[in-house]
Amino acid sequence: MTDSGVDSLWRLTWRRFRRSRLASLALLYVGIITALALLAPLVANRKPLLQRTAAGWNSPALTDFWIADPDIDLPPVETTFALPAPVAFSPNTIALASRLMPPGGGHLLGTDDLGRDVLSRMIHGARVSLTVAFFATFIALLVGSFLGALAGYYGGGADWIISRLIEVVLCFPFLFLVLGIVALFKPSILTIMIALGLTSWTSEARYVRGELLRIRDMEFAHAARASGAGDARIVFRHLLPNALAPVIVSASFGVAYAILTESALSFLGLGVPLPTASWGSILTAANEHIDYAWWLILFPGMAIFTTVAAFNVIGERFREALDPRSD
Amino acid sequence: MTSYLLRRLFYAVLTFFGITVATFVLIHSVPGDPVTFFIGQQGLRNIPPETVQAIRAEFHLDEPLPKQYVRWVGAAVTLDFGISIIDRRPVRERIFEKLPNTFQLNCVAFLLAALFGVPIGLWSATRSGRPAERISAVGFFLLYSLPSFWVALLLMQFFSVKLDLFPLLGMTSDNYTELSAAGRFTDRLKHLVLPVVTLAYAQLAIFARFSKSALTEVIRQDFITAARAKGAGPAKVLLHHALRNALIPLITLLGITIPYLISGSVIVEKIFQWDGIGLLYLQSIFSRDYPMVMGLTVVTAIVTLLANLLADVLYAVADPRVRLGEGHD
Repeated sequence: MTDSGVDSLWRLTWRRFRRSRLASLALLYVGIITALALLAPLVANRKPLLQRTAAGWNSPALTDFWIADPDIDLPPVETTFALPAPVAFSPNTIALASRLMPPGGGHLLGTDDLGRDVLSRMIHGARVSLTVAFFATFIALLVGSFLGALAGYYGGGADWIISRLIEVVLCFPFLFLVLGIVALFKPSILTIMIALGLTSWTSEARYVRGELLRIRDMEFAHAARASGAGDARIVFRHLLPNALAPVIVSASFGVAYAILTESALSFLGLGVPLPTASWGSILTAANEHIDYAWWLILFPGMAIFTTVAAFNVIGERFREALDPRSD
Repeated sequence: MTSYLLRRLFYAVLTFFGITVATFVLIHSVPGDPVTFFIGQQGLRNIPPETVQAIRAEFHLDEPLPKQYVRWVGAAVTLDFGISIIDRRPVRERIFEKLPNTFQLNCVAFLLAALFGVPIGLWSATRSGRPAERISAVGFFLLYSLPSFWVALLLMQFFSVKLDLFPLLGMTSDNYTELSAAGRFTDRLKHLVLPVVTLAYAQLAIFARFSKSALTEVIRQDFITAARAKGAGPAKVLLHHALRNALIPLITLLGITIPYLISGSVIVEKIFQWDGIGLLYLQSIFSRDYPMVMGLTVVTAIVTLLANLLADVLYAVADPRVRLGEGHD
């Protein structure tokens, strides 16, 4: 497979992609945010990363890696050495004495209305926002590719039905549908991912359908058929990989849109249930203290905006890089 | 042309039934019974089972689902969605009460976005590859990467709290009824500014990008090269040959932007406490007012459907290829 056209197309696209400094920067930024999200409990935690007690060396922060900090009072421990996390606050620790503190003085980006550290909540919020966005886009990709492939490959009746289905889905105001599903079924991270995924597959389906209609009668498809390959093998092994490029472009825009929608849901109070931090839910508190707490508005909004913009820039640059007519 | 329009009309009717089936199935797959939820929410206890049964019968919740659907959709074609569980007023009446408020917001936003977005997009298409175009392209991206609720909060903080230029919330001031006619007009206008800006900026970016790519697509075509080869100057090529063809695809934006605007209304109306259908929808899902949720979902989807149908008609009028049935489904 190394010398096939697919590989060299990707290599060529990558070279063209990197020619844009802005897009490379956006890719780097997305990488950093993703790393922060993955490592959130090690970046922002009230427990030390590494400590030495009478029992020896251990890492209390590491215990929060998969299961969130239970936020109970920590028993006092005698330590001879302690390496604190870069941000020494957990996202859900309520400290009413230090509520609504402006940035600086211990809390780099200030505290919210319950005295929780905003930076810590933003780092942990990245986990929620990105998880939802990636999985929702993945679901949309699966559903869209499947239905699009069905419509494009078989054409005729299957195409007709799926095209009508897409028309129906596109008639609903997107947010009405998502809000309705999330609110009426219990709001949870899973519900949001499914609701977003099941309502945003139409553009992927259209791209795949269009590509398959174009390539299904090309020689290589006939060759595969002649050599005895079944429909499923032709579609998944031969046709879909060739339709992948526009789908990836649309997935990049999809992630951006999913982050926006998830944060809007959280902002409206229909997102991931509290106290779990998400970029949108920090802004809900900002709404109530709009006359005063500017830092509650500025920083989480900046996080949403820059991440969404980065995914959009990546998608757009990727689209340009794939388009032989551009540059 | 007639056969094309008839086919679109037939599809629109099908889509309408698709919309109603989707709405109905969605609502009825929600776990839990609205009647018991309502009773629990009201904090009522010891409701005799006969009463629960009577309420269920009143809303026809005791019938088999297909029968419920037929009953519901039969009324829905006349836009009768029953009565609200919350205040027992007809759903249609309440929707039509709020619809003008949302319509007002969306229309102004749509017009502003088109008025500024399209010329900017066309201009940047003619500047392809130059620094000004590059910068404006990045600008569009940044614009529609901005979360609208964040923009709303920033606008409120700056223009309402700090500068006290525009009111923070609502559609009119408290002393609205005491104002003169001119005073009422400016009062309404002032309340409109921030919500409209919040709704319009992302649309503006979409309009600009769409019209830019439409014109770019046309400029690449052979007949433009032919016009240039004949010796037509850049201005004549652009205005006489390219622009007319580039404007046609903009018609489809009519159908595309309306669901976006209505989606955006939910957030904008919530933040600015604008008394439209977005706010009504939010309140209805929180209180599980199923008839209202279903009514609003169907009505907004129909608005989009009609806009799409209108776009199809306009497209057929503007583009002879569609009219004469050369592909384009």
